[in-house]
Amino acid sequence: MIDKKVQIGDKKFTLGVFNDEGKLLNAVRSLRKKEVNIFDCYTPFPVHHLDKEMGIKRTNLTVIAFICGALGTTTGFSLAYYMNVLDWPMIIGGKPMDVTVFTSFIPIMFELTVLFTAFGMVIAFFTRSSMIHGFKQDILDLRQTDDLMLLAIEVNEDQPISDDEIKSIINNEGALEIRERGQALEVTY
Amino acid sequence: MGHHTITEITEEKYHFNGRSKMIAIVLLVLGLVLAGIGAMQVQNHWNDAQTEEVATEHAEGAHHNETPAEHHGEAAGEHEAGTHDEHGANWMSRVWANLLMNSYYFLLFAVGALFFLAVNYVANAGWATLLKRIAEAMTSYIAVGFVILFAVIVLAKDQFYHWVTYFDQGLAPGDAGYDGILESKSWLLNSTSLYFLIPFIVIVWYGIRMKLRQNSIKEDQEGGLGYFRNSIRWSAGFIFFFAFSFSALSWLVIMSIDAHWYSTMFSVYNFAVTFVTSLSVMMMILLYLKNKGYMEMVSDEVVHDLGKFMFAFCVFWGYIFLGQWLLIWYANLPEETVYFAARLEGIYRPMFFVNIFMCFLLPFLVLMMRNAKRNPLVLLVAGLLILVGHWVDVYLMVMPGVVGDHASIGLLEIGTTLAFAGLFIYIVLNSLSKANLYAKNHPYILESANHDVGP
Repeated sequence: MIDKKVQIGDKKFTLGVFNDEGKLLNAVRSLRKKEVNIFDCYTPFPVHHLDKEMGIKRTNLTVIAFICGALGTTTGFSLAYYMNVLDWPMIIGGKPMDVTVFTSFIPIMFELTVLFTAFGMVIAFFTRSSMIHGFKQDILDLRQTDDLMLLAIEVNEDQPISDDEIKSIINNEGALEIRERGQALEVTY
Repeated sequence: MGHHTITEITEEKYHFNGRSKMIAIVLLVLGLVLAGIGAMQVQNHWNDAQTEEVATEHAEGAHHNETPAEHHGEAAGEHEAGTHDEHGANWMSRVWANLLMNSYYFLLFAVGALFFLAVNYVANAGWATLLKRIAEAMTSYIAVGFVILFAVIVLAKDQFYHWVTYFDQGLAPGDAGYDGILESKSWLLNSTSLYFLIPFIVIVWYGIRMKLRQNSIKEDQEGGLGYFRNSIRWSAGFIFFFAFSFSALSWLVIMSIDAHWYSTMFSVYNFAVTFVTSLSVMMMILLYLKNKGYMEMVSDEVVHDLGKFMFAFCVFWGYIFLGQWLLIWYANLPEETVYFAARLEGIYRPMFFVNIFMCFLLPFLVLMMRNAKRNPLVLLVAGLLILVGHWVDVYLMVMPGVVGDHASIGLLEIGTTLAFAGLFIYIVLNSLSKANLYAKNHPYILESANHDVGP
């Protein structure tokens, strides 16, 4: 379930640091033109079109949401039906004790749909993005949580162009600085 | 894949040419002819049914001679429950009821479009700016639609509203037939409201519509932010006025058909119908224009967002429907259940469920998927479902009170609807061809052209 691809682990990275989302977008675009495999971008706010430019596929979370919701609806119905019709039939407001009291089940069904979907989505999202409890989350650069954008490219043999070329492309697109992962931060806060 | 920022808006005009004009006019004429044939059928059928009914009643009366008291009691009970509304129904009632429901239904599209415009101004929303001219064109129907609606109400008010005939009698407390419920509502249900409040409301709406349209056209010619700011102010005023006036209009025109009934949810319910149907009509017009090769600038993203809006207001309608039904069903008070009791028997019973399926459940499931909201064919199907479903909805609001057990769906209903559709299409497309398809100097037009809803 946990997506290994987004885990940082011990991988080696080239990092481009940007302070402008337009420059970041352009850098991603020119790297993708050379078919460089981009590991991830870290931005303090959502950047439009970035996911398309990075070539990220659409998430399947919505399918999970639908399944959770449908599960909640059926649970709500079964719960209300079992309790009010089968196990302990009760006359409330002179209403019949069979499935024609369906109307009074609707609030329960609705609430459980929302509850199941919400919980299901929270769990699924955190699991999928490896933010579930017990996982150590490495942060490549502390400033990615503040005001700077990070472009992370994994350094390995599969990249079509060499590391130096990648660095020069990032540099040409106007990166503030280019670092290797683990290099000491030279920041004065 | 690559995204190109649009920096310039192309000028484009819709040509309301011979073929589209023909279709609209043919719809109108065909509808009128069908409605005429249907009306004659209804007249003949009505007379036959009337004689038959008298005969069976006589036979039954002879048969049940030994329990006259019980029979009498039932009749009295029915009378108190308020189902006597349709007692004076004749074949013309059905014709008038058709005219009322269709003129009201089609007016709702135009009013909803005006609300859409105003909301987008007030909320500073940019995504729908490319669709602005479609909404503006739709609002042009308010004038014609209202003239028809008002004429129908004035000409046939005693067919629809039994409170009109009741107040004509001028009964005092203690008189036979004195009706406390109707008397308590006399502050709203009176001829002043009918003759002055209804026109006042719609004239104010139309005035604001004219102002917004004028601003929009002038903005096209002159540019600048002044017209935009002015439109925001008028829109804010419109929304404030609309909240009260639309409620009053829906009470007067539709709810007072069942004048004994109490529901505080009814105006909200009508608003839900208004907004979801006008969004669907807007989607239909957009799909038609895109199919004809116009409005290339409107990206899938904008279509997707309009589809989301349709989906959202389907759910809103379902919520409001349940809000009205659930409380009435639970509390089980006679003055409230009378409305649903009339709609859960006879010909109306299947339609009641068809209504829920077509207006909520089916569009909810169809429009839920992301790809569905980006597929013109699916959107067309969903839009038709919603429009036909809400036609049934308005039918259920009007018919039980006016026509009662004699209602059915025949040539008359289909013909009247087609005629109104033809008229609506003609007026809206004609108005659409009068201005550019894009409000090119609107400050948010580029935002709309570059709109992106994300993955």
